[in-house]
Amino acid sequence: MRALYTAATGMMAQELNVQVISNNIANMRTTGYKRQRAEFQDLLYEHVKRIGTQTSDQGNILPVGVDLGSGVKTVGTPRLMSQGTLSPTGSPLDLAIRGDGFFKIQLPDGTYSYTRDGSFQMDAQGRIVTVQGSVVQPGITIPQNSTGLTINSQGQVSVVPQGQTTPTVLGQLTLTRFINNAGLLSVGDNMFTETPASGTPQDGLPNTDGAGDIQQGNLESANVEAVSEISDLIAAQRAYEMNGKVITAADQMLQSTANMMR
Amino acid sequence: MSNSALVGLSRQVALGRELDVVANNIANMNTTGFKADGSIFEEYLSPTARTPADSKISFVRDRGTWHDMTQGPTQHTGNPLDVAIDGKGFLVVQTPRGERYTRNGSLQIGPTGNLMTADGFPIVGDSGPITLQPTDRQISIAEDGTVSVREGTSTADTQRGKLRVVSFDDAQRMRLTKDGSGTFAAPAGVTPQPETNVRVIQGAVEKSNVRGVVEITRMIEITRSYTQLSAMLQQQSDMRTNAIGKLADVPA
Repeated sequence: MRALYTAATGMMAQELNVQVISNNIANMRTTGYKRQRAEFQDLLYEHVKRIGTQTSDQGNILPVGVDLGSGVKTVGTPRLMSQGTLSPTGSPLDLAIRGDGFFKIQLPDGTYSYTRDGSFQMDAQGRIVTVQGSVVQPGITIPQNSTGLTINSQGQVSVVPQGQTTPTVLGQLTLTRFINNAGLLSVGDNMFTETPASGTPQDGLPNTDGAGDIQQGNLESANVEAVSEISDLIAAQRAYEMNGKVITAADQMLQSTANMMR
Repeated sequence: MSNSALVGLSRQVALGRELDVVANNIANMNTTGFKADGSIFEEYLSPTARTPADSKISFVRDRGTWHDMTQGPTQHTGNPLDVAIDGKGFLVVQTPRGERYTRNGSLQIGPTGNLMTADGFPIVGDSGPITLQPTDRQISIAEDGTVSVREGTSTADTQRGKLRVVSFDDAQRMRLTKDGSGTFAAPAGVTPQPETNVRVIQGAVEKSNVRGVVEITRMIEITRSYTQLSAMLQQQSDMRTNAIGKLADVPA
């Protein structure tokens, strides 16, 4: 009985759906987290009687066919790259991007990764780094004992050096854009890396060419909405149960067939 | 075997197929743009089988499956690349096997900027594929399917194309076959008409139109009739066993 296997694909799909939803809920308070959604499609159909085939030599054709589907498959878990709300923190090195773009981070192995999580720190050399200690591009070093660290919406980093009264600009942070943000590969630590699907990174300056601007003293919250996640969770759980019921029904039918033989 | 057993068997085979259809509907309860299937049965009069009183015997045969094309509920997602179609239309997808039609409007951007489905087939616009530029932002899709963006720092809208929304007339729509991956294929010689009487809703997707209650009720009905038939066949068998036993019982 095919229904057993069809329902099994349904249960597997809903299990994956719950997994995606639980990861979203687990990351509700993760800075710069972007929610994922499981996308499903129906599987192949067996055309037991194909529509439009001839039923007689007079040219009569079947107006309806018998198409038996074989269940559901998962096609992807795309990320929704919508803007998260900004929450003020007051820390001068907490940066949020308002609009499109990612901070470019150089990993210890020399490769680059991209993040929306702007909770940066300063390392022993005075460089702006992530919480893991990777350098935020283009690598701006803040001189010791300087005061008044300001990062404006264009990403210009300026400080008042020791013994002076006028601020000097140390450099400008870059933002990287991708044509297909949803095609980036998530590598954990709130980081993404480039893939063939994301397109090549387009480095640019904040507030130019479609890139967003930078808000100092703010962090971007996750774009997870608790209400919609919970209602999705309920829907997924009920769908899982109903698929389970189909398996029970198919089993019952097989059982009654088996019982016919004494 | 007697005719009654064969009639019962024909119904059980049909019920087995019907449960397959229900199982597929329930498996696709959360599939975007999925349309539920139903089964149609017909009476099949055997040209040769006759009862002793010479009346015809009718069997059950599954004649076809039909697609329930009613509108599914619209779920708001907030994703600018999600579109739901309010009305009878379909989006057109270019696949290697030819044009396919879908109600699944969760669009993606490909590496070259083309709008495509989640499995990587381009969505057809009124004038070829719809391509976005790397500097595009604020994608908006109007109710008639026009895709416009703000390019770079510009504050004026630039059009990038228009989603092709097509429809079939009622007779043609009945002959669409499901082609997997949420798409429908049109039979040879059937070309869809451009549809203007639809509304493209951005930031929402059309959920599956499978109604859980209906499917579960159908499933209960299927299992109950299947069990009843089994019981009936069992009684037939018992009856025959008894008859053989009693008739062949030679008194000593």
